[in-house]
Amino acid sequence: MKNTPQPPVWADKILSWICAPHLIEIILGDLHEEFHFKVRKSGARKARLLYWREAIGFIKPRYMKRQKSSYPNTSIISHDMLRSYFTIAWRTLAQSKVYSLINVTGLSIGLAAAMLILLYTKDEVSYDQFHSNNPNIYRITSRFISPAGAQTGVGGNTGFLQGPKFAAGVPEIRAAVRFLGTQSDIKKGNEIKSEEVFHADTAFFSMFSFPFVSGNPQTALREPKSVVISEEMAMKHFGQKDVLGKSLLMKDSYDKDARFEPYTVTGVTRKSPQNSSIKFEILVPFLTKKGEMERGMNWFNTFLNTFVLLDRGSNVSLVEKKMNLVYNADAKEAMKEAAEKYGENNKTEYTLQPFTDMHLSTDLPANNGLTGHNNPQLSYILTGIALFILLIACINFVNLTVARSLKRAKEIGVRKVVGGGRMQLVAQFLGESFLLCLAAFIFALMLVQVTLPTFNELANKSLALSYLFDIKLILGYLALFLTTGLLAGFYPAIILSGYNPVKTLYNRIQLSGKNYMQTSLVVLQFTIASFLIIGTLTINSQFNYLINKDLGYSDDNLLTVNKSNLTREQAHLLRQELQKDPNVLAVAPKNGGRWNTRAKVNGNTEIGFTYETVDPEFLPIIDVPILKGRNFSADFPADSITSVLVNETFVKEAGWKDPIGQVVDFWYDNNKKYAVVGVVKDYHYADLSEKIGSQLFTMKARNSYGRFFVKIKPGTESGSLQHVANTFRRLFPLDPYTYKFLDDENRERYEAEEKWRQILLFGTALTIFISCIGLFGLATLSAERRTKEIGVRKVMGASIASIARLLTANFLKLVCISFVFAFPLAYYSVAKWLQNYPYRISISALIFLEAALLAVLVAFVTVSFQSIRAALMNPVKSLRSE
Amino acid sequence: MNRAYLGEFEEIVLLTVAALDGGAYGVVLGHEIAGQTGREVRLNQVHSALQRLEEKGMVKSEMGEPTAERGGRRKRLYTVTAYGQNTLHQVREVRENLWSRIVKPFKLAVEL
Repeated sequence: MKNTPQPPVWADKILSWICAPHLIEIILGDLHEEFHFKVRKSGARKARLLYWREAIGFIKPRYMKRQKSSYPNTSIISHDMLRSYFTIAWRTLAQSKVYSLINVTGLSIGLAAAMLILLYTKDEVSYDQFHSNNPNIYRITSRFISPAGAQTGVGGNTGFLQGPKFAAGVPEIRAAVRFLGTQSDIKKGNEIKSEEVFHADTAFFSMFSFPFVSGNPQTALREPKSVVISEEMAMKHFGQKDVLGKSLLMKDSYDKDARFEPYTVTGVTRKSPQNSSIKFEILVPFLTKKGEMERGMNWFNTFLNTFVLLDRGSNVSLVEKKMNLVYNADAKEAMKEAAEKYGENNKTEYTLQPFTDMHLSTDLPANNGLTGHNNPQLSYILTGIALFILLIACINFVNLTVARSLKRAKEIGVRKVVGGGRMQLVAQFLGESFLLCLAAFIFALMLVQVTLPTFNELANKSLALSYLFDIKLILGYLALFLTTGLLAGFYPAIILSGYNPVKTLYNRIQLSGKNYMQTSLVVLQFTIASFLIIGTLTINSQFNYLINKDLGYSDDNLLTVNKSNLTREQAHLLRQELQKDPNVLAVAPKNGGRWNTRAKVNGNTEIGFTYETVDPEFLPIIDVPILKGRNFSADFPADSITSVLVNETFVKEAGWKDPIGQVVDFWYDNNKKYAVVGVVKDYHYADLSEKIGSQLFTMKARNSYGRFFVKIKPGTESGSLQHVANTFRRLFPLDPYTYKFLDDENRERYEAEEKWRQILLFGTALTIFISCIGLFGLATLSAERRTKEIGVRKVMGASIASIARLLTANFLKLVCISFVFAFPLAYYSVAKWLQNYPYRISISALIFLEAALLAVLVAFVTVSFQSIRAALMNPVKSLRSE
Repeated sequence: MNRAYLGEFEEIVLLTVAALDGGAYGVVLGHEIAGQTGREVRLNQVHSALQRLEEKGMVKSEMGEPTAERGGRRKRLYTVTAYGQNTLHQVREVRENLWSRIVKPFKLAVEL
């Protein structure tokens, strides 16, 4: 046979694969016989060719149709079996209502949590994605390099020059847009309101996709005195949406020489999407003052965001290289000047950050007029909690199904005896788990719909289930459903289908023995629960600490009012007028916002510090004591020219033993030198996420004030507020009046933390709840299984207490074991998290003790309910049935 | 129409099965028909005709002996059933009736 030619192997393979099994023998046999006949007649080559032709002739439905078996179909999806499965599934669910309820409740809560998080994550990930020019939009950012070559910092902001110069010098940059937010006063009739106004270059609307209701995006920002407003703003200001060509009276709040000028509305946009870093109500063209573009020093003056649009497919690192070439050539003189004048020897290197990366970036966050920046850490924590909840719910399902399987052992045995295959049983149990999961899924959707408003408020989002109409999200939910169904159903299905039918029907099966899987799953559940309890307790006490920490100054009954460009004379007049009301205790002006600068001490050491412009009343009004020396005083008229106050940290950093009389040298400001006349006690001038740094107080006349504080008598709020408002309107009719209580403002700083605390608290409560209902189910089952044993024990004289203890002890032991895993994990994570806060609580054993107690207590209450019930049962009842 | 419809190719296959008297199977039938009619016959045509005849109940089949040429595979041998035989007789009767009515030599259609 070796030398006789053989027909093509592949043709046979293909045919055996395609043709029906009961026909293939005859077909191939005939084909082969014919082949050998052809070989003899016309040679092997031709025979092979003809063989293929003949073989292909058999690829027809007639030969592919599989033979119908004469036995009934045993496939999983046969109609009758399906009906039986549904009946049985429904009966089991209905028979044990408690377990079904526990499973569905747990799973729906878990699924709902996961769904909420999926919505949340989708929103986070979709941030800024809606611009059609993505991914070609970038923000110009920079890296600062020390002379030694090490990176000393990064910056997300730029100035006047970067955008236009790079756009002109780098061919890949198609457009550059500078974007700056300022405060402007808007006049409507006699009313003046302060609104945030954004300034952007003409290309803004061709770079970003903000839909217009009316107006032309291409030309909207072409004329200098044009303005684009949102629909809301149009309604607010004009009371209608059709406002093209109308004019808006505006002036810059901070420019003391500014007059109200009319701006023509050239476009009305829809409200900026909620997942946008750029949100504007009023947008005007960016104007650069004459001469600013020629001033080389403007390279170092950074105060806005610049975005660039690159050509499609540009090499980003090449563009960066070209940008730096442009910078190094253009700013040569300026760099020299900066080095000479200010001793600035750090080098700047420009980089590009993808526009869509800003939202979650920790190094280069979206700031300075860009909104919504979020800490990715919070997303991780949220996702973690949701996964934990879902996992715990799945564990409940697994444990309860396996533990309950004793009851179904007979069913499984019978099914196997009458010929049910293992795969069929697996499919049946998996199907049941999917059925339950489906019910849970529907409940979860309803739950999400109900809880969404609360969640939105907590997470500061405006999410909606209508987000669901998005293929990715639907796929995500589908995957969630399938994973949950599989996760919950797989293990029980494998275990249950593996029972030996002889054993189950003989009724001597012992499932109550060592069940390591169940034990370890319970331990895992309580590890997660205790971990979360510890985390929540720590976060809770850290936030309490932040909110209640003594800031080092008094913010009680202290009103703060913004007034830009408040001159010395105006401040004086204001104080006189305000103090006509005896309920106004004190008035103190201060610079607006926060200023930082540098100066030299001890000859040549440079110190960076927060630079406060105040008057003698400021420190007394906030109750901050002078530790050494004296406060500014009207008795020393030269104070505003020659003296400064510094805080303790400043003294420490400067290394002064005797701070009074030391000199602070503002070398870049005409070498002006100031003498320290007093040391101020450290206080938290910024929020507690920042360490107290060096602070310097001056009365320098050239620095303008931007706000003032008013201390009022407690309990006189309504009268005093009226007085302050009236006085302000009378003295400054062209300035908008808004006030705030400083203690409110301080509380608001921790609003985000407060919300996260609530979310965490809620998540932990859910986790504990689901763990407990699972434990409750297990305890019920174990009590049920041991009914006879308990009866015998009672007959033999066991006390109720001893039986209850017997039933409870097992579960409590598991909870205690879980601490072994939870504590080190929790300690590590909590310590890591606390490092984010310069002012933090120390991790105390008390928190761990509290968590342990809480977990044990909750578990004990859950289990003991069932244990006591079992122990109280009349032994006659349980033993009679034998 | 009191008999089952028999296609022309089916009729030839059925006749050949009858002629081979128990020794009929795919390849032999193919060769025999090709030899008798002079037309090219492909195996899948023979097989499908046999399948149809079997579905109609005019032939029945049983497995034969395996041979080395067939790679150790068995043949499926066909024999004509009584119903098949009847049908063949009927077909033949119809044809003979018609032939007997042709008295004169053929009057050929001539193109005008």
